[in-house]
Amino acid sequence: MNRYECFEFLAPLIKDQLVIGSLSGQRVEWGHLCRHEGNLLVASMGAALGIGIGLALVLPHRKVIVLESDGSLLLSLYNLPTLGNLSLPNLAVFVFDNEVYSGTRISEPSATAGKTDLAGVARSCGVERAMTVREIEAFKHEARKAMEENVLRFLVCKVDPTTRHRQIERPSEDLWEHKYRFVRYLERTEGKKIFLGRG
Amino acid sequence: MVGALKEAGISFVSYLPETRLSQIVPLMREDPSFMLVPVANESEAISIAAGASLGGRPAAVYMEGSGVYVGSYNLLVLGKRLGTPMLLLVAYYGSILDKRNSFLYAFPGIHLIPILESLDIQYEVFKEADDLEDKIKGAVKMMHAIKQPVALLFTGAFTA
Repeated sequence: MNRYECFEFLAPLIKDQLVIGSLSGQRVEWGHLCRHEGNLLVASMGAALGIGIGLALVLPHRKVIVLESDGSLLLSLYNLPTLGNLSLPNLAVFVFDNEVYSGTRISEPSATAGKTDLAGVARSCGVERAMTVREIEAFKHEARKAMEENVLRFLVCKVDPTTRHRQIERPSEDLWEHKYRFVRYLERTEGKKIFLGRG
Repeated sequence: MVGALKEAGISFVSYLPETRLSQIVPLMREDPSFMLVPVANESEAISIAAGASLGGRPAAVYMEGSGVYVGSYNLLVLGKRLGTPMLLLVAYYGSILDKRNSFLYAFPGIHLIPILESLDIQYEVFKEADDLEDKIKGAVKMMHAIKQPVALLFTGAFTA
């Protein structure tokens, strides 16, 4: 199973959900496959899950999807106790775990290639529906449930390391433009002002 | 302080409590206009506040001065680079006016303002409660105007 084929399955399921993404190849691949205005691909390690929690808290009627990686989650494990305690039903977390520091292009094994079980860590923090999938059919089954059900789900997706994202042209949109697009989409669909400062 | 935050429109507070300002937490908890989220780490508080802010609830992060050190990466990438409005309510321990200053507090206190300045985060130091309402209102207006964090540092009379 690789991340790109998982995204190919997920992208058509996106309607009015908010999708918060992390960094690296994941951002490039998701941005290429899904041009949804409700994407907020923050391009920072260790931040997507926290932002997703904040959004899910203040917009309880909107489904929030978080796309994380093993490295990004390992950098922000402090989110998991909060995630477990809040148990936000409108939040679904996907962790694409390739078990390597692939961003370095040297593919050194990360902690999850060893004894670290991220779904187990999440369960220990109170995230009841945390599990690991390794095959694409299992991914599709669990991902569909995560998208449709109103309950917190945390799905660790064991994927092969790939360089597919390097074949995709990088977006010219910078982060500020990306953020404004997301916020204006939310303002339009929520019917309220979000940025309050006078221009 | 709590009344001024409410008056200024703050309705979401993520926090890691400390000893100098922690009386604000039960006051905010009693007021249903505030959504409160306790966290394990100030970096987490900043990312959750960023999500709340981008979701339409004007947000603050309450923490001790050490939290600025812990959260500096997220202040840079989410506060400055992504550009997210949030108010930082910081107990300025280890300042010259900290009434409980000590060897432990002084060194982090000495470097707190240089860190904020290196991140180009606008800040205001409160030694007394004078003009508190106006300054909080102004700080919130500033954070909305520049769509970045603005920090309020509380020392002196706030550290008894």
